[in-house]
Amino acid sequence: MYRDFGTVLVAVILGIVMVAIPLLIQKLIAPSKKSKDKLQTYECGEEAEGSAWLQFNIRFYVIALIFLIFDVEIVFLFPWAVVFKELGLLALIEMGIFLIILIAGLAYVWVKADLDWVKRNVRYGTGRYQDVRMEKTT
Amino acid sequence: MADYTFWLIAAITVISAAFVVLNNQLVYSAVALLFTLFGVAGLYVFLWADFIAGVQLLVYVGGILVLIIFGIMLTNRISSVRISHKSVQQGVGGAVIIWLFIFLSIVILKTPWLNQTAMEPASSVAQVGKLLLMKYLLPFEVISVLLLGALIGAATLSREDP
Amino acid sequence: MTNLQSLDLFWPELIITVVILTALIVDLCIEKSKSDVVGWVLVIGLLITAIAIWNQDKTTTTLFTDMIVLDPFATFFKLLIILSTLLVAVVSWQNNELDEYRKGEYFTLLGILVLGLFLMASSIDLIMVYISIEVVSIMSFILAGYLKLDTRSNEAGLKYVVYGAFSSGIMLFGLSILFGLTGSTNYFIIQKSLAGLDGSASAALVMALLMILAGFGYKISAVPFHFWTPDVYEGAPTTITAYLSVAPKAAGFAIIIRFFHQVFADGGALADAESLSMTDVPWPEIIGILAVATMTLGNLVAIQQESIKRMLAYSSVAHAGYMMLALPVLSIQTVYAIMVYLVMYLFMNLGAFFVVITVKNKTGGETFDDYRGLGWEMPFIGVVMTLFMLSLTGLPPTAGFIGKFYIFSALISGGSQYYWLAIVGGINSVISLYYYFHVVKVMFLEGERKETLVQPPEVMSGVLLATAIPVFLFGIYWNPVVNWVQNSLIFYVQTM
Repeated sequence: MYRDFGTVLVAVILGIVMVAIPLLIQKLIAPSKKSKDKLQTYECGEEAEGSAWLQFNIRFYVIALIFLIFDVEIVFLFPWAVVFKELGLLALIEMGIFLIILIAGLAYVWVKADLDWVKRNVRYGTGRYQDVRMEKTT
Repeated sequence: MADYTFWLIAAITVISAAFVVLNNQLVYSAVALLFTLFGVAGLYVFLWADFIAGVQLLVYVGGILVLIIFGIMLTNRISSVRISHKSVQQGVGGAVIIWLFIFLSIVILKTPWLNQTAMEPASSVAQVGKLLLMKYLLPFEVISVLLLGALIGAATLSREDP
Repeated sequence: MTNLQSLDLFWPELIITVVILTALIVDLCIEKSKSDVVGWVLVIGLLITAIAIWNQDKTTTTLFTDMIVLDPFATFFKLLIILSTLLVAVVSWQNNELDEYRKGEYFTLLGILVLGLFLMASSIDLIMVYISIEVVSIMSFILAGYLKLDTRSNEAGLKYVVYGAFSSGIMLFGLSILFGLTGSTNYFIIQKSLAGLDGSASAALVMALLMILAGFGYKISAVPFHFWTPDVYEGAPTTITAYLSVAPKAAGFAIIIRFFHQVFADGGALADAESLSMTDVPWPEIIGILAVATMTLGNLVAIQQESIKRMLAYSSVAHAGYMMLALPVLSIQTVYAIMVYLVMYLFMNLGAFFVVITVKNKTGGETFDDYRGLGWEMPFIGVVMTLFMLSLTGLPPTAGFIGKFYIFSALISGGSQYYWLAIVGGINSVISLYYYFHVVKVMFLEGERKETLVQPPEVMSGVLLATAIPVFLFGIYWNPVVNWVQNSLIFYVQTM
């Protein structure tokens, strides 16, 4: 096991070194003249307006939360896939139950339009693609 | 070789964790947390828990850290206030921590822990999979219900309309 | 038993899982204004579950390769949990606080909470213990913060999450120490290995014990892990407050009794009069001190409260203390006493919170001022509330008296070293008299009489009667409860 992760370690160290060396070189040989313009946020030659500290839309958070739940689900799928061949049908049924319960969750967020970037007005019992008024979220 | 690596990773973990706690800037703390979580993943490898190390990277570094940074960016007064957090009651907290450290050290050093001699395994994923699907089947299925509840709750609470 | 064989004895939990999924899907198909229907799904599902539990084999065995047990002790708690959930679900339809919100998720999460509580009452494996506590905690966090538009509810949810995450982390550390010492997650194997340890492990055991107590104590809101209680109880929807003060507390006691009597003591000897502590860890003393602190703090702080809901929150802390009093005495009588107390406590505490809901629906407030003269304006509410207050104080002829009587007599029969616990408990009951009677005084002796009488809605009156009648009846004829508890006092014990 250590051997396998030794490879990972070497890759990580190489990655750090490959980035560090060019940075070090430019630090050593490039002339350093600081000015106000150089320190400004880069906006393709435009003058930067306001601060980069903007309040994010809550939608980012909802999507990230949903992602996280299914991320954990994938974590459980992985060891199952490794032993699946050995355990056979029983493992399939066990994982099937696990997935069905979580897919109910997926159906939930889908119907409630938590996955949509532009939020629909949810109409219950009518079906997703029927005439629904589009409304921008604030 | 493995020894030196262990100390290096442990040092990274502890120092970046201290940075998370002691730094006043919330965003810097969040970035330092990245290194802590990375270091913990490394420590798991030394415990022969390669699967857990992978999970640590996938869930904590890939998911929870992103969520934390979103959480900071969601703060509604983010542009007007300098985002910082300070420790309060450092005296009491320090006393408790020192006591806890001493006591835990004694516990760790003096206790006759159950030691098992085992060969270094190739990979623990298959073992984890078997335990999950056989011995610990019930907890495994309950986790799906737990995740379902967490999903419903998270979606309900963060949705705008009541 | 193996996983496949266990399914036969696992019907109640399977039914609840199906109920949860049905509730979720029904919720997806209906409009917001009709979301009460999901409550019907839950109520009917719980009734079916209760029937399934009732008709279950009365065997005692382990299920799912020693993850959980099926024994009369667990069944007792499951029925208690179903009873409180049913009452709370019915009242949730009447609770005005929830009017603006969709109730579909509310009832679905309540269903998941029930599943977690069931597993809490029956788990005998550290991993199962942890996961079931997590299920209960996370669902409680969400439900406490359910009133999104109310900042106090938001605060309640957030505080609950922070405390909950911290204490379950500490508990996990404690459980891992226990695993490191014994190499197993199974209660019975741990108990056997602990008995074989020598004195050098006792420091680690004390550490593990304190850390695990942090997790368990947090669930029953024992001092010093109670700090979340008043704020969460005040901010959460009142129905959820009522529920949190009863059902998770009952399951918490189930898990504590099982853990301490089967891991730190010889669980098999519980059937005899005495069962000796297996290790030299002074856990009975630690719990005794915590019990005294819990009860005293709960009562002293309850006196100073302006809001009745907050007062009842502290009072529920105090009641956890009364029940903890009996834990240090390792005998069958004390477990018996705690179980009797839990039944009585369920009715009187739920009843008191339901009165708070009724009054809040009418006046919109929950402070003592809102109760001024209420006894004359709503005589039914006044009489019922007086009964609950009498019972919570522990005066005869109410259910609360019987509960306290059993606790104190179990303490005294435990031997002279427990007398002081009984004395402190007695003093505390007297202190509590002050604030419980303050409510009665405000309702009947203050404020001017109004001519018009107000009747609460029929459903609410029905539920209040359903809690008030047992409180009164079990005060004079408590044999059914005692018999039920007696028949349920059978633990699963593994002999190795």
